[in-house]
Amino acid sequence: MATDLAGSEQAWRRWSAAAVVLVVLVAALLGFVVLPVLQSRSTGLDPFTAICRALGLQAGTPAARQPVNQAKAQPVSQVAWTEEVIDRLHQPNVAVGDETANVCAGCHGERGISASPQFPNMAGQSAFAIYKQLNDYKSGARANDLMAGIAQALTEDQMIAVAEHFAALTRGTLDPQAAGVDDPDIVLLAADGDPARGLPACAACHGTRAGGPIETPTLAGQREEYLLAQLEAYAKGERHNDVYARMRGVAGKLKPDEMARIARYYAGLR
Amino acid sequence: MKSPDRLTLAHLWVAFAAFAVACFFGVWQMWARSPLAAPFFTPEHYFISVTAHGVSMAFVLTTFFIMGFGYFTAESALERPLPGKSWAWLAFLLGILGTVMAVVTILSGRATVLYTFYPPLTASPFFYIGLVLVVVASWIWCVLMLVAMARWKHANPGRPVPLAMFATVANAVMWLWTTVGVASELLLIVIPAAFGWRETVDVGLTRTLFSWTLHAIVYFWLFPAYIAFYTMVPKAAGGRLYSDLMGRLSFVLFLLYSLPVGMHHLFMDPEHSTGFKFLQMMLTVLVTVPTLLTVFTIAASLEIAGRLRGGRGLFGWLRTLPYDRPMVLATALAFVMLFFGGGGGLVNMSYGLNALVHNTSWVTAHFHLIFGGTVVIMYFAIAYAIWPRLTGRQPESLGLQRLQLWLWFIGMMVMTLPWHWLGLQGQWRRVAQFDYANPIIAAWGPWVVLSLAGGLLLLASALLFVWNLASYHRGATQAAAPFRFALAVHMPERVPAMLNGFGVWNMLVLVLMLAAYGWPLAQFAVLSPPQAIVHHVGQGG
Repeated sequence: MATDLAGSEQAWRRWSAAAVVLVVLVAALLGFVVLPVLQSRSTGLDPFTAICRALGLQAGTPAARQPVNQAKAQPVSQVAWTEEVIDRLHQPNVAVGDETANVCAGCHGERGISASPQFPNMAGQSAFAIYKQLNDYKSGARANDLMAGIAQALTEDQMIAVAEHFAALTRGTLDPQAAGVDDPDIVLLAADGDPARGLPACAACHGTRAGGPIETPTLAGQREEYLLAQLEAYAKGERHNDVYARMRGVAGKLKPDEMARIARYYAGLR
Repeated sequence: MKSPDRLTLAHLWVAFAAFAVACFFGVWQMWARSPLAAPFFTPEHYFISVTAHGVSMAFVLTTFFIMGFGYFTAESALERPLPGKSWAWLAFLLGILGTVMAVVTILSGRATVLYTFYPPLTASPFFYIGLVLVVVASWIWCVLMLVAMARWKHANPGRPVPLAMFATVANAVMWLWTTVGVASELLLIVIPAAFGWRETVDVGLTRTLFSWTLHAIVYFWLFPAYIAFYTMVPKAAGGRLYSDLMGRLSFVLFLLYSLPVGMHHLFMDPEHSTGFKFLQMMLTVLVTVPTLLTVFTIAASLEIAGRLRGGRGLFGWLRTLPYDRPMVLATALAFVMLFFGGGGGLVNMSYGLNALVHNTSWVTAHFHLIFGGTVVIMYFAIAYAIWPRLTGRQPESLGLQRLQLWLWFIGMMVMTLPWHWLGLQGQWRRVAQFDYANPIIAAWGPWVVLSLAGGLLLLASALLFVWNLASYHRGATQAAAPFRFALAVHMPERVPAMLNGFGVWNMLVLVLMLAAYGWPLAQFAVLSPPQAIVHHVGQGG
């Protein structure tokens, strides 16, 4: 009886382990070998590549042909928000920032309020927003004769320092509180977008507590002329340093009078 | 009232209080998504509500219910005092503290990340720490369950652990494995990000770690329902359990196959290869086996009861079952919902078909039907079954209990069948509102209103449930008789050691997890993929 019991215990262990291992092996054989090899016949991949893809050792799926075009896509911006860049923006060199800001103050004002309506205010912008644009001017992703020359003369350290200089100087000065412009249609468009036209709300990215990309600029209190010029440039595709063409997509769907009213609305927000 | 009764009652009341509040949130959410104008509606309020609903239902109701029911089972099935009562009370207090932290952060709008988190969206750290405390409380419960079983086995060498306790410990063991995923995600990645100690997170890695937890957690919730099927229903129906061994085998299979399958939640994600998704789909297929075994065994047990009550012919036994008893009625209704919900689940777990229903209301319908339907209706039945023992009082009205169960069943069907239909038409889940000006979306309107009506029935049922339980506390007192679980037709004298403990099964779980998650997790260390920038909700854009 005791031997029977011991024998049955052993059989339980053996058979349950065998069943589990068999299940894994069959599933693995199907998923890693049989299916990818069969799929590779219709996608023109060699079996080895297909198996490597199924295992995750190579990128792509064995079920789809990868594009054969070797042309490199041109990124719209060279800025990559790596941990290193973000850390550096949090630890700027204050002295370098103060010194570099002297160059900017002529047009953008000592405290980030611009001297002329065609130049944007720096006040209220985050270091991420300023750094992104400086970097884009330098790389040519954003075209502007005046700014290209200035940005190309700046080092990486100077761009980081000056971005943080303006961000720190004016942090919180331009939190949108109340609209200075009474335009209910535009308030609605900015808050809710227009789903019928596939237009997202401006506030979805540009609002406080919004979930837009880290480099999203503050619009509240920005110069009206500057905002309108940017919307028009995006709509025509003249400005194209927006990742995933987000702003080109939005501006292209706006009517000219809406652009003007949006610019007036945001300029009036304090 | 004895101290373990107070312990169980405290847990179950917290669970059901959270449940009742969460039902209000749920109904409001459906109202918000309907063409009818809902009060207090803003998208932000919607996501506060979804988070509160999900956290209350998925973490608070379940964890407190399972802990309370586990303490009850350990005492009743083992017929021994519960070890470590002060630890149990400490765990209860930790759970309460954690719940309060989570609730405060949610209601203040600083945790609109849903109960499934979605990094790089990041809530207040106190939200996650609160949830970690609830998990730590459940870990204490797991240890107490393991100790209770070990002491019983030591005192009863060679005897089979009573099935109810074996299943409870299977759940505890599974839960310890399950929580490794979410605990790693929270402690190593999300909480440091929430405190601002790290600027970026690897979303692929966090999603993979959460998927480790995401399917098995559902089985953690499901276990009490299955424990009731095996150890309460046959007795309530007036019969015996068809097979004790089948029960043990089912619970062991749940332990094995609920864990290495979570990637079926990531079929549409880019961070994993097709082969591993296929492997986990195959393992997911196997998790249907214990459910099919259970349906067979419980149907056979009910047939025994029906025939003992005079049922004749192929299906005559179905008519003679005592449906006036809440446990039997709830089981019948649970099986109907399991049929629809399980069928929907088979679609979700199919790698190809999943693409059709991914991120649509179909999925929401599926988990409401299975968890909110099959599982929660059995929570009700369990509460009705053990409340007389816990309070030492008679129920005031079985009629109201039956009405409550029917309301829940009808409400759940009316709510979820339209969701399935809308999901097939592409209605998104996790969005606050629909533009009913769009003609295609306008056609959804009547179905959404119908599901809202189902939601109102569910809310009525939830309130009636709380009323029914509260009425026990003023019912006629009776002598507290010990609670008895169902007996099997052939009560086993001895069972193989593998069906009386979990040692070898743990080794097999390890093998399965290494096969299913080994490289999918290791690749994040080897390949260093790109990171996403942390976004803090409620702290400015």
